[in-house]
Parts: sequence; C-alpha cells; structure tokens
Amino acid sequence: MKRVISLLAALASLTWADGGKVQFQRKAGAFNITLFSSPATVRAGRTDFSVMVQKTSDQSAVLDADVRLRFVQRNETAISSVSAPARHDQATNKLLYAAHVDLNATGKWRVEITVQTPRDSALVTGDLDVESPEPKILQYWPYFMILPVAAFLFLVNQRLKRRRRAANRR
Amino acid sequence: MESAAEAAFESWAIDLRVVFLLLLSAAVYLRGWLRGRTLLRDDRDSLRLTSFLASLVVLFLATESPLDAFDSLFLSAHMTQHLLLMMVAPPLLLLSEPLLPVLRGLPKSFVKEGLGPFLSWKPLKQFFGWLVSPIPAWLIFALSTVLWHIPQLYELALSSPAWHGVQHACFFWSGVLFWWPVIQPAPGKRRWPKWVAIPYLLAADILNTLLSVVFVFSSHLLYASYGTVRASPFSALEDQSLAGLIMWVPGSAVYLLPAFVLVMGLFTSPGMRVAHVPRRVRAKAKPARSVWWKRAPMLRRVAQVAMLLTSIAVVADGFRGQQVAALNLAGVLPWIHWRALSMLALLTVGNLFCLACPFMFVRDAARRLIFPTLRWPHALRNKWLGGGLIVAYLWVYEAFSVWDSPWLTAWLIAGYFIVAVAIDSLFRGASFCKYVCPIGQYHFVVSLISPREIAVRDKATCYRCQTYDCIRGNETARGCELFLFQPKKASNMDCTFCLDCVKACPHDNVGLLAVAPGATLISDVYRSSIGRFSKRIDLVALTLLIVFGAFVNAAGMVGPVMMWEHGWHARLGSHAMPFVVGCFIVAGAVLLPLITYWLCRLINGSAEQANRLAFSLVPVGAGMWAAHLLFHAASMWTTASVTWLQILFLEAGLLLSLYTAWRIGKQAKLFVPWASVACLLFAAGAWIFFQPMQMRGMMMH
Repeated sequence: MKRVISLLAALASLTWADGGKVQFQRKAGAFNITLFSSPATVRAGRTDFSVMVQKTSDQSAVLDADVRLRFVQRNETAISSVSAPARHDQATNKLLYAAHVDLNATGKWRVEITVQTPRDSALVTGDLDVESPEPKILQYWPYFMILPVAAFLFLVNQRLKRRRRAANRR
Repeated sequence: MESAAEAAFESWAIDLRVVFLLLLSAAVYLRGWLRGRTLLRDDRDSLRLTSFLASLVVLFLATESPLDAFDSLFLSAHMTQHLLLMMVAPPLLLLSEPLLPVLRGLPKSFVKEGLGPFLSWKPLKQFFGWLVSPIPAWLIFALSTVLWHIPQLYELALSSPAWHGVQHACFFWSGVLFWWPVIQPAPGKRRWPKWVAIPYLLAADILNTLLSVVFVFSSHLLYASYGTVRASPFSALEDQSLAGLIMWVPGSAVYLLPAFVLVMGLFTSPGMRVAHVPRRVRAKAKPARSVWWKRAPMLRRVAQVAMLLTSIAVVADGFRGQQVAALNLAGVLPWIHWRALSMLALLTVGNLFCLACPFMFVRDAARRLIFPTLRWPHALRNKWLGGGLIVAYLWVYEAFSVWDSPWLTAWLIAGYFIVAVAIDSLFRGASFCKYVCPIGQYHFVVSLISPREIAVRDKATCYRCQTYDCIRGNETARGCELFLFQPKKASNMDCTFCLDCVKACPHDNVGLLAVAPGATLISDVYRSSIGRFSKRIDLVALTLLIVFGAFVNAAGMVGPVMMWEHGWHARLGSHAMPFVVGCFIVAGAVLLPLITYWLCRLINGSAEQANRLAFSLVPVGAGMWAAHLLFHAASMWTTASVTWLQILFLEAGLLLSLYTAWRIGKQAKLFVPWASVACLLFAAGAWIFFQPMQMRGMMMH
C-alpha cells in the first residue's frame, strides 16, 4: 500500500517544466544563470520558467541555491509585479529550478532572478516579450482533430460494409 | 539535491498520456495473449510476451526517462533516445508477433464491426503489403533518418514539443516498417527469402555509418541549440562527436549482428540446421466458473461496511470538525473523491456505488426489526419524484454552497440515511432505490453506457428454469427487490448491482457480463419492470435532466456564469442569490431540455422516435460529468492542466452519442436534430473547459 501511495504521490507531483527555449543567459559573480521558458513563445497566461545556475569556474550545476523569479511590468498608469520561488521539485530536469508563473498582460516584462547560496549571491535581470494568448481552441487543436478523423473513418467503415453486403447479395 | 548525477537520475519526464497508452497496450496484448493460450499453447508464447513488454519498457525509457529531460541539452542523450526508438523498440515489438494478440485483446464487437471492414479491404491490404516490402520500407526508413537530421528540421523539433513528438513518431514507425521484412512476423507466410535481409541490413548500416561520420568528424556544430548552454565539462562539439560515436558503434551493431546471424545460417549445411518446430498443444478445457460469483454478495457486504464507516467519519467530522471545506472530510471526500471515483467506476465497470451503498446496509439492518407491509403508491411508480429531487439537489448544492459547508454536508448525509430507512421500513421492495434516491437515478442513467451489466449467460437455461429464484428468491437469497426479471432485463436501468439474483440463481447463470458501451440504448425491447424506453416519458425527462444537468452543474462554477449570477444578485438584493441560482438551474436543466425535446419531436414527427433518440444523449452527458468530476479530483493531485483529458472524455461521449443516434434513427429527419443537440452540448462543454473554474474544496477559489 505504501508503494501505491508513493507512486501516486510521484504522479501527483508531475510537472511540465522541461527546460524549453533559452530566453537569456547572464554572468553574475560566481554564477552563470540561464532562463528557459516553455512554451518557447511566452504568452500572457501560465508559463513554465526554468533557471539553470552554473558555477562560472567549471560550468558545474549549482544545486543548493535558493532561486526566486520576479517579473515586473511598468506602464504609464501602473506597475504589475509577479514573483515566485523556483524549485527543483517543479522541474522535470532536476538540474534546473522551475516555477509556474501567470503573467497577466502582454508587452515587455523585466525579469529579475535572484540566486542565493550559503557562500554567494547574485541578481541578474533581462527583458521578456510577452505576446497575447493563443485562442484555447488552437492550443488543443490536435485533440479536436480526433472528431473529423473519427467521422471520416466511420464513413469509410460504413461504405465498406455496404459494399461487402452488396457483393454478398450478388 | 546532493550531486548532479543524482539530480540527473531523478529527472524523469513522466507524461500521463504516454504512460496510459503504454499500460493500455500492455493490457490489451496481455488479454489477447491469455485468450490465445486458452485455445492453443506454443512454447514460444512466454518469449513473445516478454518481447512485447520489453518493447514497451524501451519506449518508456526513451520517452520518459532522464534521456528525454536532457535531450535539449545534450545531443548524445537525444541520439541515444533515437536509437532506442528506431533500432530497439521496433524489432522487439515485431518479435512479439503482436497482431493476433492485440486483435484478440480488443472487444470482439469492435474488432468485427469497427476494424473488420478495414482488415478485409483488399486495397488496404495490398498497400500495407507494399509498404512492408524491402525497397519501400528501406527507403522510408532512410528518408526519415536523413531528413530529420537536417539542421533546420532538427532545430524545429527542438523548439516545438509537437514537432518533437512527430519526429519521434516518424522514427518509431519507420523503424517498425524497416524491421518488418527482416523479422516477417506472424501471421502470414514469409514473403521474401531470408538472404534478402543481409544486403538490406548492410545498406542500412552504410547509411548509418555515413551519417555517424558527419557527426564524429564535423569541425563545426551542426545544431546551434546545443551551443547555447554548456551544461557539462564537455564542449558542445565533443558532445556532438559522442553522439556520432553512439550512432556509429551500437547503431552498427544492431544492423550487423542480425546480418551476421543470417549469414551464418546460410553457410551452415542443411544437415546441420536444426529447424525449430514450435510445439503447439491444445489448451485444456476452461475450469468451471462460479466460485467467485457465489462469494460476490459477501464482498458487497464488506464494501458496504467500508462505505458506512467512511460515512460515519464524514458525518462526525462534518458536525464536529473544522468548518473549512478543504480541511474537513465532509468537504473533500463526498464532493471531490467519492463523486469522481463513482464516475470512474461507472465508466470502467458499472453501478458500483449502489453495490456498496451504505444506506442499504443500514436499511437491511433495520428490516430485521421492522417488516414493511405497504406497497409504494401507484401514482409514484415512476421517475418524476427522483427527477424532482435531482433538480432540488442541483439548486441546493449551488444556492447554499453545500460543497463549502461541512455542516450542511453532514446533515445531508445523515438525512439521506434517515429517509432511506424510513421509506424502506414502510414500503416493500427497494422503493427508495427505484423511485426516490436521486443518486441512484443518476447512476441508473449513466450506467446505461457502462461496459458491464448484470445479465444472464445463457437465455436457454432461463427458459428451462421452473423456479424463477432470481426474482422470487429462495432460502439462500432474496429475489430482485427492484422487480427485474433477469431473462427480460436488458440494461443497467434500475439495477443496483446488489447481486441478489447472482446468489439466488440455482443454475449459476447470472453474472457481471461485458456489454458494448451504449449498446443497450439502441434497442427498444421490452425491459422487465421498466417497459419500453420509448413509452416512458418520465425516463426520457430524467435522462435529459441528467444530461443537461451535467453542463449546468459545471457551468455554475466558471467565471462568466458566476459573474452573471453575482450581477443579478447585486441588482435584486442581498437575499436574491438562491432565487438567481434557481432561475439558472431551472432554465438550464429543465426548460432548455424541454424546449430541445419539443423541437426535436416536432422535426422527428413521432413522439416514440423522439423518446428513443433522447437516450442517445446519455454518452455526451456522461462524458461531461466525467470530465467535470475527474477534473476536480485530478486538481487535488497535480498542478498540470488536464483540459486535454476533459476534451477527450467529452469527445468520447459525443462520438458515442452520434453513433447511438445514427443507429437508432438512420433517416436525416430523425438523426440530424439529435446529432445537432449533441454537437451543441459538446461546444458548450468545450467552452466551459476553457473558462477559469472555481477550485472547490481546495483552499483556492
């Protein structure tokens, strides 16, 4: 039973953060920091961001850092800000730190990545273009394609049956 | 995380869709394999099963293991993944000779009616025969390998998960085509002499070597993406050379080893060859069934006791525990887990909730003291009362946020026990189940598309039967309390899966049998204690209420509808919310189906036909209930979006609804109106899925 529960727990923690496209790479202090996004084009709504932290000396991955992401958008009237901790357990690739972030507006966002380890800390910033969200129907179009494909196969199936019946009658 | 190696090893990219497909394939093959063994046994059976399972494991490793998590960082990891997909999984799959076991493992009616016409279609057979002949198979494999390694196409796959999936599918299926002429799996005779495979494999190895050389000796990076991030002490160019070596050495071994075995076979003198003659033996006769079934009623009692104890815990926590839904058993168990699990049971087996009903357990205990004498009033022997209670439930649930109140939930469950015991203490039979219980009515309707049914195995045995114990009962078991006479019972309608008939039948002729989902909706035979569906307007009304209720219930939780309700609430005053919700529920679950039925009946030109066709909407309604209830349960376990799963449930429902409508009324004036309603309901469901939904019982709104 314990095994079943732990398996369910493992399935429950499934995440979609899978690296994705490199948004930018920066050097800061002892670290080399890379920000990935998935999907590759960042759109308003939920996006998985992953951060890779490496030592500049030997490119080895830093695995014990505290990583935080902050997204800020300034326009004429207001400032929007979203922050989220990035963690290994939210990432598929456990060398990365991942966070699911909901960016609620399109346009330019400033990204601040803070990395803190017991010995060093670093802050890097970069810009991110957020596009308008894709219509949901486009996001799920392969699933909707099942309907016409099934309908087509059904029509062929019925035609073949009719033909077979006609051949049997002859 | 201690080390990079440990982190890498833990990087499993589990995709539930892939896992589900692999498990489903394994289940189908295993079922067919077991069925095959009951007919004829062969000493290579176990080898074939092992080979099939191994191919699935390889596919799992290729697509879900750390190889997949690292394929965007290291070309060498990506190359290993591709080798598994092209050169390991396909031959293992073909060695398992999967065609017959898979056909045997699928439902018989689907194979006969669905696949049969395609499998016996000559042009398709000829095309497939051509496709797996050496020259086309080799060319397709070679094209797929070369084209996908062109930098532009490879980068496309790296940048888009969808194209990445297409790339992997191309590799796997072209691999299947490539290995087909080499293995020539059964059934069917060998079409090409064995020696043909030698130049065939050698030619593939030459192509593989040429490609490998490009990777190993190239002085520049072929795929720019791998140069962006340096995630290891190796440079991207060194990683590229390693990928080339993986392709070259193990890749060549996969081609050359079978070629070598074939060459050795040719050079061995015929006298020295020991041909393997499979040892086939006819399987022994099936063991007699029955022991399991005779114990089933006892299992029912165990399930009822478990449910009763759970109900007591829920009621106790609801009354005395913390009044926060997400932290109280009464807020989480009945509204999230129980509803989802009973739905899952309905879709995979049948009406298992009624089987384990705790109310009936208490009622049965009470009946040891009180003997009911009255008969249920004639005027109420229909589904109007049950239907009315469902409308009341939908209204109370929304208007008073019962899902958010453990105290109200506890009262509801306690009240259910009291009413069930009171009614069945006064009236004979299972009057509460058949005419009152709204949960039961919902289960009766949805179980019309369940894949299992309590039914007779052999009708002739029933016709020879003189005692009718299934309905009259005997000293070991009572007869059916819902007056369903087994030989005339033709669906799950009104069946509580109590298994009394199973226990009572002296001929061991009643069991939980497989039935094609939705098949019982198509015929309009006379059904014991129910009559014909086409003559039961109360059943039609109940069905439409449950179908439209699925959409109304889900819509009540999405942003735009809630905003609309709150808008009217603000306009009408502080106590108007129950009224606003009531109007929404009556409009969506009562008036809309009424108007729909009236319009369809007008076009159909016959009340009887309209009544029959109304049942064709059951699958789309069940699909919506499943999509909605399983969404809430899934949200407790994962943060990933499950919209794709909801769409799949609703689509499955729509397709079954369209098929059922088509089977019932083949004329346009009969089929088109109901098919249009099903499509509109599907569109409404898709719209609901795409709206932000209130996450009830989860500490977030």
